Amino acid sequence: MAHDADADDGRLLEDGEIDVLLAKYWPVALNRCRARLRGHPDAEDVAQAVMLRLVDEFHRGKRYGGTPYRVVVHKVIGWTISDYFDGRRLDAPLPDELGMTDEPADDVLSQMYLETLFDALAGKDGNVARLRYLRGLEPDQIMAVLEMKRDALDQALWRVRKKLRKELQGHA
Amino acid sequence: MPSEEVELLLEDYAARFARGEGPDVREYLARAGAGRDELATLIDAFLAHAAPRDPDAETIESVRAWMSGKEPLLALRTRRRLRVDEVVTALMSALGLDDAKRAKVKRYYQQLETGLLEPGRVDGRVYEALSRVLRAKVAELAALRPTPLQTRAAYFRAEPPLADVVSSPAAEPEEPDEVDALFRGADGPSGA
Repeated sequence: MAHDADADDGRLLEDGEIDVLLAKYWPVALNRCRARLRGHPDAEDVAQAVMLRLVDEFHRGKRYGGTPYRVVVHKVIGWTISDYFDGRRLDAPLPDELGMTDEPADDVLSQMYLETLFDALAGKDGNVARLRYLRGLEPDQIMAVLEMKRDALDQALWRVRKKLRKELQGHA
Repeated sequence: MPSEEVELLLEDYAARFARGEGPDVREYLARAGAGRDELATLIDAFLAHAAPRDPDAETIESVRAWMSGKEPLLALRTRRRLRVDEVVTALMSALGLDDAKRAKVKRYYQQLETGLLEPGRVDGRVYEALSRVLRAKVAELAALRPTPLQTRAAYFRAEPPLADVVSSPAAEPEEPDEVDALFRGADGPSGA
């Protein structure tokens, strides 16, 4: 599924549908900025600066080879937030090497999506995690889909919460 | 805040994000209290690793409006075929405001539409009310503002009544009230 989503993004970029791509990543950019700026009112302007930079990159003809567009988006988010905290202009051109990395363990590339983490969970925990965190199902719905009793679901969710917290803290 | 509470808030945020409900990080940080820093870190990491949903039609239209220099919130209201006064009436009702505040609410709403307000200072209850009447995730869409140059151009093109309404240049300074707090946050009006 992760590879399908990356392929979809690549097609949108090649077809020039930058508006659809930006609409897809706008909520992510906005809420990452809100989280990193701890809800400060400047977060909205920083997020908008991310979008403006992505538009500018597109109009400059940048297409990033085989790098998934989500990697580009998260790099731009990270750089723009850093520029904000360091007092730099948020409309400065981005490095030409955006989208290419020689870092041996680029976090976003290596970790892929949360699906990768959930696939590695034992027993029904992976299914519980996917249904709750990636599909947004409520506990009653998960119990029905997986034919689980409430106690078993609660225990699985408890394990998933701990595992996810540890993993996300490690990648923060 | 106990660590389990932070984990539960993350889970709730993630589930609502997955359902496309557009949960506002700020609301969750406020609920986290002393755990806000950790929750912010977890949500940021979650968003960096979760596959985003395909965008809904309203978000795509709003981004298109923004890219073409139009005000996304204004474009949304136009698509809904709603007049400003209809939106203001819905806001007054949802926020439980006295009728005497109507003119001020209208002025602020128009400022929000034209990108003259800082969207990050607007209270979540305003966005909730607007989301119901405009049937879209307004807290996300309102943060797409026309760039300052576009805003100035739109303002100077405005008919005199609208220009007077959105700027109120000669208004006597008032004591900040609940409406100021709803639209400008704790800082209240800053002389606009």
